[in-house]
Parts: sequence; structure tokens; C-alpha cells
Amino acid sequence: MVREKPKQTTPQDSKQSNPIENSQNVDNLFSPRFKSAAAMAGWDEEALIIASIVVEDTPDRQSKHKKRSDLIFKTPPSTTSRRKRRAQRRSPLSTPIAPLNLDEEETSKQESKKESMEQRIDMKEEKKTEVNEPSEQVPGASCSSPVLRCMDKLREELSCAICLDICFEPSTTPCGHSFCKKCLRSAADKCGKRCPKCRQLISNGRSCTVNTVLWNTIQLLFPKEVEARKAAAALNNRQVECQSPRRSRSIRPPIVYTRDASVRRRGVVVMSQDEDAALALRPQREDFSRSDTTTSMSRRRRGTPSQDEDAALAFRLQREEFMESFRGTHQQTRTSLSSARANLRAMASRAVNIRMRGRPI
Amino acid sequence: MMIGGGGRSSSSSTTAGGTWVSTTSVSASGKRIQREMSELNADPPSNCSAGPKGDNLYHWVATIIGPPGTPYQGGIFFLDITFPSDYPFKPPKVVFKTRIYHCNVDAAGNLSLDILKDSWSPALTITKVLTAIRSIFTNPDPYNPLISSISRLYLADKAKHNEIAAEWTLRFAK
Repeated sequence: MVREKPKQTTPQDSKQSNPIENSQNVDNLFSPRFKSAAAMAGWDEEALIIASIVVEDTPDRQSKHKKRSDLIFKTPPSTTSRRKRRAQRRSPLSTPIAPLNLDEEETSKQESKKESMEQRIDMKEEKKTEVNEPSEQVPGASCSSPVLRCMDKLREELSCAICLDICFEPSTTPCGHSFCKKCLRSAADKCGKRCPKCRQLISNGRSCTVNTVLWNTIQLLFPKEVEARKAAAALNNRQVECQSPRRSRSIRPPIVYTRDASVRRRGVVVMSQDEDAALALRPQREDFSRSDTTTSMSRRRRGTPSQDEDAALAFRLQREEFMESFRGTHQQTRTSLSSARANLRAMASRAVNIRMRGRPI
Repeated sequence: MMIGGGGRSSSSSTTAGGTWVSTTSVSASGKRIQREMSELNADPPSNCSAGPKGDNLYHWVATIIGPPGTPYQGGIFFLDITFPSDYPFKPPKVVFKTRIYHCNVDAAGNLSLDILKDSWSPALTITKVLTAIRSIFTNPDPYNPLISSISRLYLADKAKHNEIAAEWTLRFAK
């Protein structure tokens, strides 16, 4: 792929300069900008979306639109490599712009231009198939400032007025205002059935449906934010019934934690959480009745723990949790923190279980 | 296997889950307040400022400078803002800390402003509230007064009203 240094020109500028169909002129206007557009395309697809959005409003829309849709229909669905597609597309591309390009010798420019077109087409395809590839759109922050400004405007426009975040599963009121579905619902519950923006009556806040087009657009434009929100939602769900993940997450062999328990008994502080302590000290009557065949009983019972090992383990656990709790508060660390807690708790309870089970035998 | 253990750890997890859920539900309003704060810092409304008093995100202090052309001109008026825990859905409580001669502000500093009561909408922000408060400096609403004597004076003899208001501004707000 031809990727050249991005220049500080906006992609929409290059697009808007299209109607000047004077070849030489257009050459001069085009190639560097298209180069930059391609460079951006290489790094950042958001820029191209914006470009194409702006293009929709420019006067030469007709021809462009036709051309693009042409391309879309000619494009075989994925599988084929980009290079192949480029080859296939050469003929349809050469309607209005290609002659201009053929005049010039620099094939690299041509290449980059095609590339930018492809990128745009890819975007369209993505839109069609609703594929979400956050990794490709991540470097939004590294592109030029006009694009950033554009993104800021979009962000503002696509934000929910209630949570001031990017709309998550936007729902549109009859009066035409969009909010997160959840936000709109709580607003209807707590503030009466009026649109938060214009105070018009909302017929029924209960029956709000997701505005699919808007939601897909948001997902395409702000994959990172959407992911973060999704993660947060998942976290909440998990916390509501944090039973199963706790079990499934415990990866450490239980044998280690028998010693852990014994350490605790000896008075070495293992975990700072009083919850954990309480859990460990809670009488485990019901455990006696349990028959556990999967854990390696013999290994566990015969393994005479050395005090040094115990201390080392305790220290490690303590430090892990400590480190976790100091790593900021954003969602991902939250997840890991809570899962770490879950782990520790599961491990502690298992250790105790095993101990209690082991004793009467 | 491990059914009993599951049951027990679920009891501990519900307590843990409870605390977690409560923190996240609080952080929904906290998140919004934080957003408003950064928005306010990025683009502050003219003659206004606002921010948390201390560590508590839900307790802010704001200042409004009396707009020119009004008897409150040049005065610095302090306000206390308290956000409820279900904030965007319930209005913040705004109280004047600086005494002001105004028919819509009583001696305790309470305001009669419809958007802070029945007309509150979750789409409103502190920026908009401050703008609204600033606008009652220029256009008092004598028909919904908290202090009727001031509103009567305002309607009957505006010059006199303005004179007193300017005097109070000089005395309390400068």
C-alpha cells in the first residue's frame, strides 16, 4: 500500500475542489490532497467517513454518488484482496476522474488515490455489513486538527443530552430528539413523560425503541466509546449476578490455597479485605457433606506446607490486589479488579472448603 | 460439585455486588457532573464560573459577576450548588451565598427559578442554569416574586429599586 506522509489538508477540501474539471488545475489540486487523503485512509478511516459525509452535501453529489454506488455494486464481497479489487475496479473508476489522472506520470499518486477510494468503499461495505473494526479506526486522535474538530462536532451532535456521553442505543422521540434508551427511560420515569429537550409530550416512555440507523452510525464512528460503554454494561450485569464468573475465573490450583488458609490461621495477614477475612472465618458446616472428587485430594493432604512458601504466597496475593486497586478507575481495570477480587474470594473459599473437608477425614 | 460453596460465596458476592452496584449507580451522576465540569472549563459562560468546592463532586461553588448595565454591575455573587444523587433527573439546588436585593431571591438566598423546580429537564446543565440566573439579573421576574415588597417597588419605581440594588451590591458583593 502506498502510504505517504499526511499533509494538513482536510479530505473534504479535496472533495469540494472536485467540480473544477479543468484537468491541469485539478491535477494540481488533487494529487497532494488525495495523497494526504490516502495517507489518512491508511491510518484513519474516520477521516474518510467524514469526507464522504461532507461530500454528500456538495453540489457534485450526483455524479459522485453514482460512481460510488457503481463501485459498490461491482465490488465482490470481501475475500478478494485489495490489490485484486483495485484491478477489477480500474474500468468503472475511469469515468470522470480517471482521465485526469492518466495525464500524469506519477502512478504513485494514482495509486494512493485509488486507495482512498477503496478505503471509502470499504467503509461503505462496512456500513452495509455492520462490521465493527475498532482497531482500524482507533488513531482518531493522531489525525489533523480539522478532522478532529469535525469529530468533535459529530461527537457533540451524537451525544445524549442526559448523560452527555455518546448515545448508547439511541432512542428517538416523536419530536425528533435522540437520547440513550436507558437515559430516556429513566427521564420518563423520574421527570414525567416529556421530551427533555423540547418538553413535548412523549406518548409512552416505556415503548422506546432503538433508532437503528443512528445506532449503527454511532457504532461506526465511535467504536471505542461504544466498546467502553458495552464493557461497563457487561460489568454491571456481571455484578448483579457475579456468581458464575467468580467460579470460572479461578484459575489457580486449589492446593496452593490450603496453605493460604493455614497461613491465615497462623495470624499472617493475607488479604486486607475484611470481607475476605469474614468469608474465610465463616464456619463451613455445609462443606462436610460435600463430596469433591475432582480436586487432587491426596496431593493436597500430603503436601506439607513450608512456612516460607506460605508467606511468599500471601505476600504475592496482597501485592496483586494492592496493585490492582491502584490502577485507576476506568472500566477495564475495574473489570480486572473485580475479577481479581472474585478470584481471591473464590480461592479463599475453596481453600477453606478443602481444609474443612480434609480435617474430619 | 461445590454446590454448597457456590451458595456461600453467592451470599458474600451479593454483599460485594451490592456495594459495587451502588457505586456504579452513583457514578452515573458523577460521570455526568464530571463531564459538565470539563465542559465548563473548556467553554465557560461569560461572567460565570463554577467548580467543586473540595473533594466532593456533588457540592459546587459558583460565582456570577453582575452584568454591566444592571444595578448589580461589578458585584461578585457567590452561589452554592448541591447536586442530588440522581442528578440529571432531579434539579440541582442553587442558593445565593451573597446577599442580593432582588425580588426573586429571598433573604436565605433561595431562588425562584422555574427551571430549578417544576420545569427542570435532565437536558439542562449547570452552564444553562447559570445563564438563566444571570438573565434574572437583567430581567427580574416581578410576577413570581419571593420578596413581594421588592417586586412592588420594581414595578412602581424602578429607579428607586435600582438605587437600592446598587447600594446592596456595593455593600455585600464587592
